Amino acid sequence: MKRHIVLNVNGEEYEIEAEPNRLLLQALREDIGLTGTKEGCSIGVCGACSVIVDGRLVSSCLTLAVACQGKEIATIEGLAKDGKLHPLQQAFIEYGGLQCGICTPGQIMAAKALLDENPQPSEEEVKEWMSGNLCRCTGYYKILESVMAVVNNKISADYQAGKKVREAKIQSLDVYEPVSKTK
Amino acid sequence: MAKAENFSVIGQRVRRVEGYEKVTGEARYIADIVLPKMLMGRILRSPYPHAKILRIDTSKAERFRGVRAVVTAEDTIKKPWGAFFADQYPLSVGKVRYVGEEVAAVAAVDRDTAEEALDLIDIEWEELPAVFDAEEAMKEGAPLVHDDKERNIAMTIDVERGDIQKAFAESDVIVEDTFESTPQWHCAIETIGSVAEYAANGKYTIYMNTQTLFSARVRIAAALGVRETDVRIIQSAVGGGFGGKSCDDNNALVAAILARKAGKPVKVINTREEEFLAGSRPRVFMKIYVKMGFKRDGRIRAKQTRVIADNGAYSAKAPAITGVASLRHDTCYKYSDVKTQAYLVYTNKIPTGAFRGFGNPSAEWAVEQAIDKAAHELGIDPLEIARMNAAEPGYVSPHGNRVISCELKQCIDMAEKMMDWKNKRANKRPNTGLGLACTVHVSGKRHFGDYDGSSATIKINEDGKALILSGEGEAGQGCYTTMCAIAAEELGVPIEDVEISQADTDLTTFCLGAFASRLTYISGNAVRDAASKVKQQLFEQASEMLEANAEDLVSRDGRIFVKGAEHKALTVGDVARARLFRNGGAPIVASGKFDADSVLQDSTRYGNESGAYNYGCQAAELEVDRETGQITVLKYVATSDCGTVINPIGAEGQVEGSVAQGIGYALIEGLKMEDGRPVNPNFGDYRIPSMRDMPPLEHAFADSYEPTGPFGAKGLGELGMDPTAAVISNAIFDAVGVRIKTLPITPEKVLKALREKGNKG
Repeated sequence: MKRHIVLNVNGEEYEIEAEPNRLLLQALREDIGLTGTKEGCSIGVCGACSVIVDGRLVSSCLTLAVACQGKEIATIEGLAKDGKLHPLQQAFIEYGGLQCGICTPGQIMAAKALLDENPQPSEEEVKEWMSGNLCRCTGYYKILESVMAVVNNKISADYQAGKKVREAKIQSLDVYEPVSKTK
Repeated sequence: MAKAENFSVIGQRVRRVEGYEKVTGEARYIADIVLPKMLMGRILRSPYPHAKILRIDTSKAERFRGVRAVVTAEDTIKKPWGAFFADQYPLSVGKVRYVGEEVAAVAAVDRDTAEEALDLIDIEWEELPAVFDAEEAMKEGAPLVHDDKERNIAMTIDVERGDIQKAFAESDVIVEDTFESTPQWHCAIETIGSVAEYAANGKYTIYMNTQTLFSARVRIAAALGVRETDVRIIQSAVGGGFGGKSCDDNNALVAAILARKAGKPVKVINTREEEFLAGSRPRVFMKIYVKMGFKRDGRIRAKQTRVIADNGAYSAKAPAITGVASLRHDTCYKYSDVKTQAYLVYTNKIPTGAFRGFGNPSAEWAVEQAIDKAAHELGIDPLEIARMNAAEPGYVSPHGNRVISCELKQCIDMAEKMMDWKNKRANKRPNTGLGLACTVHVSGKRHFGDYDGSSATIKINEDGKALILSGEGEAGQGCYTTMCAIAAEELGVPIEDVEISQADTDLTTFCLGAFASRLTYISGNAVRDAASKVKQQLFEQASEMLEANAEDLVSRDGRIFVKGAEHKALTVGDVARARLFRNGGAPIVASGKFDADSVLQDSTRYGNESGAYNYGCQAAELEVDRETGQITVLKYVATSDCGTVINPIGAEGQVEGSVAQGIGYALIEGLKMEDGRPVNPNFGDYRIPSMRDMPPLEHAFADSYEPTGPFGAKGLGELGMDPTAAVISNAIFDAVGVRIKTLPITPEKVLKALREKGNKG
């Protein structure tokens, strides 16, 4: 039996009809049309479907949609505000923290959950926390750099989302401090 | 050595051109595509490794509410297809040859309905004896996977160059051993998927997350029995390829067959389990026997290999992979006398295929360990053996590979320095060891017909922005950013003034796609040629406007001016508009092309397979815990000769990602198979490296310039994972004196080897 539920996603309310076993991942992607959250493994291992529910990082492939009523759900689509990217989004671009991009929304949401809780984690704490988000492209070095760049306040929060094409795309070298070093 | 050039874009840390879409969730991957009236497709797969299909009854499934089409082989032309050997069908004809093979499929209003309907398809099976091991399969009397393939042999290679017997007779030290690689799955975080539609005029439009659009088109058209132009492939964003999305599987074909029968668009997305069972074709499992002869001073005198490659049930790219595993390593060092025999053998398992590195990781796993073994027997530093035998510019391999630029020695030197190799060797700590291995890779490979080229079109829009039209596609590796950087450099415009189109077989010229580390070199050259022609048109127009000779013009930062008169500059947009909006006007547009100066291998497999060769050397320092067998990589060093580095962020990312996959291949990845059935085909049981698995890594790029490459560049994408497994194994031997000969190197194997060694005293 489908139930009428209301989900609050990124500050907006969505009314949907969902079976009790409807997953939050399906509700977000298929019922609401927010496809930024990705499905990778379907068993809560890879982290591609990571979203934040009431401040806690969850795998939306293991979370029932009906259980999220009355809670605040944050997805990748809600991060850029007023035409500006979130510093983590900007960092992933500047530091090459993404390649194919399929795990990127999950990586960024996971990093956000960590930094919301602990704005100054050590590199070891970031590694431990982010080990729940798999990536097959980057080898993680540049993901770690991206997150640490935000931790170390090396990302200015003025990257204009709407102007992305017109902005100079070559980053200045002085903000670049690689974790894996190129000689 | 590097040619001094003043670049404004090349060599800069350029942002990924599609980065914005990917960090905001806007990028549209295959699972995100929804078309009006779209149905969801699910596939019924074989539960048996080898069985006859006596009868299929789909009537109940067809009557199930919400089902719009059910298809079996009866809805196909029953014609086999394949990249090199046509041996697989879109849907099984008469029998199945591995667990997971596509037998029937359903399109329904939603996924759950399609899934339920699969259970209503009634099949009568007759199980057949099956064979799961390549060597068993080669024996007389083994069950035949394909009736017409005697002893299950799909292909053999038997090549000797020079005089191998004499060369071994002249060797001072001979080593021999057998090494087994392992099947490795691509594990792109996005599985394979397709959305297909069929129009009344007979044309299929298929959205695919493929990395090789035109190869997909030719194979799909053949399997559907239509003309190539009756199939249009449009690439979605691709969530990781690594060779696994090069259209050797049936996903898109099933979607197309369902769409035609249902008369509506159909989406088929592999589940993670399906991806392991029958999606991306895993790395070819090989057993490689190596025998090598050395002179007392460490020089290689002879090399002989015997390769047994497990094809799985169908061939995909394995024939070419087996060829590479047998021959390509002979371009890494200076060889004179070599012999190789290889057998590609059918078994009742998932078809194997292309995975980053192609045949190299398996070959390097074996040969680089044999060389290391010889170094220890000769009492010579393995690094010195690598250095004295390393290929050099001008080297021609025994199989005809002609090396132009080659900085392998520089790579070895850099690895030595970065690892502090000499010092660490002299001050060796207990249970700690150093290992290294070298590799060679291609920049494109001539094997799909006598063509290893590319073409691209560039148009200048009225606002001055350039648009590249290319059918090569972007699989996530960053080739679009590379192409835009190359075009920007040639045109003299900022990179943000260059865009690249979505790849679409209807809108671009023929492109082979992403494989063999070919895009920077091959497609980069084609893009540069197109940009150069566009620039010529711009200069012709500007020369009229500036009343100057075209030869005296310069373009920089999107402005065109007479040398020395920058104050009187025109913008690219000014020039493009002036050319178009006038009597007899025309757009500024040009196509460029490139075909590598390589040679299709002859029947003896002789021929220069690629236009340029890239080289690398990697080294590891690791510690072995004798109590647990646990291996801790303390430091990893990767050096690469990829010619000019076009975009450091992208290049570093390729090396880092390759090493991660190499570490996974060496230490972690593997799937238990029981009677041809993968046990637990999921990310819980098939583990890939996570952030905490990655060792401290340093990398470096050689000062190198490939004269035939775009701005001196050559390939890089696969190089970094080729030697990694051998590096780790060699370091383990250096640390504790045991040599692990099967992958992955688990703590259990290390402990067992240590115990056996201990027992022997």
